[in-house]
Amino acid sequence: MRKYFTVFAASWQDEFTYRLNFILWRFRNVLRFLMTYFLWQGLFSATSTIYGYSRPDMVAYIFLVLIVQAAITSAPSADNIGGEIGSGDLSNYLLKPMSYLRFWFTRDLASKSLNLLFSFIEITLLWLLLRPALSFHYSFFSVFGFVASGLFAMVIYFLVSASARFTSFWYPENTWGLSFLILIFIEIFSGSIFPLDVLPPAGQIILQATPFPYLIYYPISILDGKITGLYLWRILFQSASWTLLLLIFTRFLWRKGLRVFGAEGN
Amino acid sequence: MRQLKVWLLYTSNSFAQTLANRFMTGIFILSKILRIALFLLFLIFVFQGTQSLAGFTRDQIIFFYLSFNLIDTLASLFFREVYRFRQTVIRGDLDLILIQPVHPLIRVLLGGADVLDAFIFFIILGFTVWFGTVHFSLSPFRWLAYFSLILGSLLIAAAFHIAVLCLGILTTSVDHLIMIYRDLTSLMRIPADVYSQPFRSVLTFVIPLAVMYTFPPKALLGLLSPAVISVSVLAGFILLLLSLRFWNYSLRHYQSASS
Repeated sequence: MRKYFTVFAASWQDEFTYRLNFILWRFRNVLRFLMTYFLWQGLFSATSTIYGYSRPDMVAYIFLVLIVQAAITSAPSADNIGGEIGSGDLSNYLLKPMSYLRFWFTRDLASKSLNLLFSFIEITLLWLLLRPALSFHYSFFSVFGFVASGLFAMVIYFLVSASARFTSFWYPENTWGLSFLILIFIEIFSGSIFPLDVLPPAGQIILQATPFPYLIYYPISILDGKITGLYLWRILFQSASWTLLLLIFTRFLWRKGLRVFGAEGN
Repeated sequence: MRQLKVWLLYTSNSFAQTLANRFMTGIFILSKILRIALFLLFLIFVFQGTQSLAGFTRDQIIFFYLSFNLIDTLASLFFREVYRFRQTVIRGDLDLILIQPVHPLIRVLLGGADVLDAFIFFIILGFTVWFGTVHFSLSPFRWLAYFSLILGSLLIAAAFHIAVLCLGILTTSVDHLIMIYRDLTSLMRIPADVYSQPFRSVLTFVIPLAVMYTFPPKALLGLLSPAVISVSVLAGFILLLLSLRFWNYSLRHYQSASS
């Protein structure tokens, strides 16, 4: 376990070594926020509610998206795993006495913690700049559910992106293809642009059968008190089920991939 | 003429390289079309709950979005090589490009044309022209203004990409620059008029993304005067000239540190 703490500490140092890179990365997240923010502000200029959301509700939702995205989707593993398999650099890791997946998950956690910290600063600055009316409704149980679903979301995101990148075992010259498709699904169906309960009920049911809404939409809805009681436990159970399923699938792909891995490029 | 031949050679090599893996090419094209279609569906869906966005109707907003994709895809088609430039500088490979008897921008700016974007460009072009013709009554002059402004947008995009190359030479410590450009341009999926001041002014006069993405569809919808159209196209030429001066400046400061 101690070696992963060392990896965690080294990752923090790494992020601080390239400070300008980190700041620009955070700036990119703010740009994404601005598009969504102004889109909804524009839509609300003509009406007071859209699909049951008032303007303060929606603004609070997209502010929360910025925080949750910092914790869930900031993952250096997504940018590196495919390249390391394709270039053959994976061989270096296989020789080390640590799990490749745990190594990258630890690095992701380091990145997430740093990004989360900075997202609070950004939100404060954005709030001071834009001064929007916000509406939050949270309780002790909603915070507990939010933390639990957020932890599941971190693991789900890691497993989804890692398994997509494992296609590099079979297509080492193209490490980006399937991940691009998955990223598009995440962008639209995770709830980062709009809350998914604006969709028709049939659409919401279909999305529940995918891992995407568990990444952003459900954690935020739980925190906002929209998902309570038995429904909350059901969503947590579904998140846990997705985590387990994806863990089995990712490990299966990893084992299969290692069999065909030829360390080309090394 | 020789520069054009070299560019055609680079382009055919780049196309052949991409098409070598048919399966992944298919996945990429599918993904890109899906991304455009899903956001389009979102816009259509969200308009069922409201009347207008910054004074624009649903059809106008859709046309703005299609135009955004048309311009964005056109820029990606030509300037894809910029995404690989940082590695070229870090590895010292830029030295090998600079000693060749061809203008280096032919290689580092235009040398990796993206065949996937070429496919998608023609699909979006067809759909945009069809949508514009069906939903708006447009004169040939409006279409002429629209495509002139798209040409101007391409010049501004070239200027932005050259500026990214220059910054890549002057500072090798940053690897997000082109992605920041991507994120900035993605603000223009909706018209600049949706953004409140002072963001709108910044997007029009400081980083002229509004000129690139919002002005062409506005011209087509008859919302821009001929004077603004002319100045916008002129702005494209001026920015391109300035970026070329910046390129020369950055080359003078290139240290070839990695080679």
